[in-house]
Amino acid sequence: MRIRKVFFITFLLLIAHGLYAQQISNFSYKDLNNSYQSFEELKGEKLTLIDFWASWCKPCKKAIKELNKISVDYQEKGVKVIGINCDGPRSVAKVKPLTKVLKIKYPILLDLDSELMKELNLSAFPSLIIVNDTGKILWIHEGFQSGDEVVIKNKIDKLLSL
Amino acid sequence: MKKKYVYLICLLLIIGSVKAQFSAYNLMEYQYGKLPDNNEDSFSSIYDRFMLNYSLQKFKAGITLENFYSPIEDRNYTRLSQFKLQYKTKSFDIKAGHFYETIGRGLLLRSFEIPGAILEDLSYRSRHYFHKDIRGVSAKYRYKSFSLKVLYGNPLNYLFPPTFDDDLRRPDEVAAITTEYGFLNQTLGVSVMQLKNDSPETMYYNSLNLSGLLFSSVSYYAELAHNINKGNFLNLNDDGAYGFYLSLSSSFGNLGMSLELKEYNNFLIGSGINEPPALVKEHAYRLLNRSTHVLQPTNEKGYQLELFYSLSESSILTFNITRAENNFEQKYVFEEYFLEYSTGLADKHDLKLFIDYAKDPFKQEEKRITTGMNSQWMLTKTSGINLDYEYQNFKRFGSNVTNQLLSVGMTIKSKFSCNLILERSNDPFLLNDNESNRTWLGTNFNYKINSKHQIQLFAGNRRGGPACNSGICYEVLDFKGVELRISSRF
Repeated sequence: MRIRKVFFITFLLLIAHGLYAQQISNFSYKDLNNSYQSFEELKGEKLTLIDFWASWCKPCKKAIKELNKISVDYQEKGVKVIGINCDGPRSVAKVKPLTKVLKIKYPILLDLDSELMKELNLSAFPSLIIVNDTGKILWIHEGFQSGDEVVIKNKIDKLLSL
Repeated sequence: MKKKYVYLICLLLIIGSVKAQFSAYNLMEYQYGKLPDNNEDSFSSIYDRFMLNYSLQKFKAGITLENFYSPIEDRNYTRLSQFKLQYKTKSFDIKAGHFYETIGRGLLLRSFEIPGAILEDLSYRSRHYFHKDIRGVSAKYRYKSFSLKVLYGNPLNYLFPPTFDDDLRRPDEVAAITTEYGFLNQTLGVSVMQLKNDSPETMYYNSLNLSGLLFSSVSYYAELAHNINKGNFLNLNDDGAYGFYLSLSSSFGNLGMSLELKEYNNFLIGSGINEPPALVKEHAYRLLNRSTHVLQPTNEKGYQLELFYSLSESSILTFNITRAENNFEQKYVFEEYFLEYSTGLADKHDLKLFIDYAKDPFKQEEKRITTGMNSQWMLTKTSGINLDYEYQNFKRFGSNVTNQLLSVGMTIKSKFSCNLILERSNDPFLLNDNESNRTWLGTNFNYKINSKHQIQLFAGNRRGGPACNSGICYEVLDFKGVELRISSRF
């Protein structure tokens, strides 16, 4: 009986620890020039913002405008942005010209099967995650509305000051 | 004996605290209501999807548990609907259990998951998550620009809910091998697939794709897929079974362009395990999203051209032309012309205006004109008011049909939002005998408790119909009642 209790508590401890320590795997996808690029190659020195978006998603374009600014303003502070496009076969042909027209300043990778998004159980477009230099997930933000850019910048500043 | 347990626990704790992680996600949706035109009384139902994932360095495991409960016994179920094991390194990716995989652009095989979508069919009325996975094994190997993928499994036919046996839900058995090699900015891919099901003949398919860059500014992707049982690879006649897809995209300064061509003939594979690109614009505007053309892979050819032009940092003009031609004894031609102007005002407000002209002979819709606006007016730096209006008019059998949508709402960052949606239609396909028009009035509330937990509430009448999400189109049922959705991440 005592052993069972110990097991149960251990299991809870394991889960409780694990729940707050989700790590991103070293993903690798094709970029817009048909070459593979990995998280390790693109990540920021301190923080990396990973934005999951699709060309048909209206709030995604709003978020991209703000992430463009962040990618420039925080570059010197060791922060990088990576865009993961999840358009899928139906509309992936539009991604490259749209990226050029939106003048996206950070790298875009194509995840045709939304594999990474599923792995992280993200359920909305756009979704933004912030990870540290070891790939540990520090923050998840689903959806985007005007005003969220303030929340995102505050979060980055807070994480950089830790 | 006790010592053994203690050692084991210590070991687990050490491993756990160093590398292992659990993550969990739960989606619960409670409904009280009914289909407006159904004789059933309103009733309560609850759907729940719980996912638990475990990862330890290069190893991952996960399970998905789905439940649906309502007062009608034969619609209810509790199912361990997915399990997965994965071992992934820089070169290898090995999966067993339930996984998602697409070959090329989906001409031969496509699996998918539509985030957050719960499917309900009018015939079965059981609710389940909208996904099409494969149950089996897959292995990928990649070294520099060479990759090889093999897979074996049974794709899900999502039309049947989990109350049905797996024999019905997974009638197809596929085995495929696909390889890619990159050279001089180009990639050549070759795939071969075997399909077994109830039909007496085992089917064999192959596909060839080439993609890359031309003249450093034009990206292209071309794929030709073919049913080997129906003749040689270049049999592009009416008796052949093939799919051809080509895309070209480029940009010149502020102008971006994508052109896609398709030709599919007798190319519905098995119970629908493939999903060739539809080449029909997926609209974010609700009336247009509902008025979509659904691809017929048994016979369809056409093209889609989309142009984007950036007028300034916050203004974009989008123009799309779509044409799809079906020849089923009679020729049906779907055509659509779409123009959108999207702009920012005073660096804080957003305004989108659009106009669309289409003819859809499948739905007997002639001279269909849809127009409207979508706007957000910011009151403070973090809160604003949304106002959307859409109007649609077309002729069917000589009479005028009008659909209208008005949505008014407010948002405070993405922390809180509420919307009132009013729809009105005089479409005879939707009306009962004594009605001259119908109105749907519904309200949505969305509250994000923190970055892990979110609550959504709907109350009122919701109009159903075709809906396209993440590139996949499906049917949504009308609903009258209250719906509460809680999503949690742990």
